[in-house]
Amino acid sequence: MSGYFLGIDIGAAGSKAVILDSEKILALAVMPSGTNYSTTSAAVKAEVLKQAGLKESGITASAATGIGGRNAGTDSYHGVILCDARGVNLLFPAARTIIDIGGQGSQVITMDEAGRVINFNVSEICATGSARLLQVLARILQIDINDIGPLSLKATSPSNFSTSCTVFLETEVITRISQGDRPEDILAGIHRSIADKISGMLSSGAIQKDVVIIGGGALDTGLVKAIEDKLGIQARVPENPRITAALGAAVIASQR
Amino acid sequence: MLNEISRLFFAGIDIGSTMSKAVIVDASGVVRAYVVGPTGAEHRRRANKVMEDVMLKAGITLDEVAYIISTGYGRVSVPFADKQVTELTCHARGVSTLFPDVRTAIDIGGQDAKVLKIKNGRLTDFLTNEKCAAGTGRFLEVAADTLGLDLNEMGRISLQTETPVKINSLCTIFAQQEIISRLSEGQPLPDILAGVYIAVTTRVVKLARQLKVEPPVVFTGGVAKNVGMVKAMEIVLSMPVLVPEEPLITGALGAAILARDQAFQLVQDGLLQIKKKELTEAHIDFTEKNR
Repeated sequence: MSGYFLGIDIGAAGSKAVILDSEKILALAVMPSGTNYSTTSAAVKAEVLKQAGLKESGITASAATGIGGRNAGTDSYHGVILCDARGVNLLFPAARTIIDIGGQGSQVITMDEAGRVINFNVSEICATGSARLLQVLARILQIDINDIGPLSLKATSPSNFSTSCTVFLETEVITRISQGDRPEDILAGIHRSIADKISGMLSSGAIQKDVVIIGGGALDTGLVKAIEDKLGIQARVPENPRITAALGAAVIASQR
Repeated sequence: MLNEISRLFFAGIDIGSTMSKAVIVDASGVVRAYVVGPTGAEHRRRANKVMEDVMLKAGITLDEVAYIISTGYGRVSVPFADKQVTELTCHARGVSTLFPDVRTAIDIGGQDAKVLKIKNGRLTDFLTNEKCAAGTGRFLEVAADTLGLDLNEMGRISLQTETPVKINSLCTIFAQQEIISRLSEGQPLPDILAGVYIAVTTRVVKLARQLKVEPPVVFTGGVAKNVGMVKAMEIVLSMPVLVPEEPLITGALGAAILARDQAFQLVQDGLLQIKKKELTEAHIDFTEKNR
């Protein structure tokens, strides 16, 4: 179907918008969600239209998803699981398993060749297993969140942690620092904790390949590697791992 | 020997993650003294300190203490104890000493929560949470920090309302954010605080419901000292809860009672040898771990 299709995802941490032009991403925008979802929806929409050089009247159809997506004033609203599946399917037709590490928790989705959801498992709202833990770590270790991945890949003996709760981990990380553990080993140890938690969410039995990791957590190369090691697989990560749900919403808008 | 032991005393020491407690009972099991103090980083020095303090309060010397049981998270760090016993066993014993009919005991400590099912004074089942800060005292500390309030003050303020706000996040990290947004929305402080207590309680009650909550319910642990939490517990359970006069010491009390029972048993078996005990001022340094 030809035309311009807008997908908006107002997530717990970030808001994303994508404009799709016959199965190609024409423009995208990402910004923090903040506390007022209506204002953020309008802002992210304005930004993506600007990027695409379009006016709102130029949009053929629109759809939204995410915790605040109902405030976006689009033609339709769809669940984030479905949108993730459709978005990933467009980028990687061979994908069968999605691991989404978002701002408030994580989810795993299995799907078929057409991007139809077969099964999914959503974590409790929990900072561990979400990208939020990475923010907390960046603050304690006084490093930029984008440096976590590259730094952690230099680890030689990852620290062990007795807890997986972010609140308790804060204390334990400080103890490890006082004992002389190096930041890269601490980070690699935390990545292992998150990978363990995510692995526990996948149903037992063989993991259906290809595996695609998305969400803000997928930007952390060290975390991606820890998940790959834990699951014994090679994962694929989209160029913009945060926008897949917005992309999926645009795909759905184009098919309605 | 039986005569001798009847004149002696028995101690229970509970080194918790946040607070350390010690209780001295006499041969009839009557509490002679108890003390509570923060655990801090040096468990062993703390164990000595609470033991010294509780003996001072009871007006006795170490030679008069026949048997000592240590319990709690730091129970291995009590070098002068005769025996270590798990906190679940001690706790069940302590609670049923105070409330012989107790069927459900809910204990919320600084970093954990426990639910015990007890019948005829015996522990029949239990569940614990030490994995997640939500549903522990830590959640309340984070809330107090966020709001810049004292923990006790928080409890009193929360009693001013009957309309708690709903805190949706179970996770402490996200709840902290939610507290700030509720404040910025202009919700009254008492409503937010009452909402915080309901949130913690709901988390623990979810654990308790897995074991079926049967009355009488006894609520203990440091968190039970908070009036706001007690009220929230009664609301969420829709039944009255019993709180001991000093809800922090049930584990140490149980340990002391068990120490007394153990000593009498050993006397009967002709096995009790009252060791000469010494409270060495253990010097702990951080290199010890590597030795």
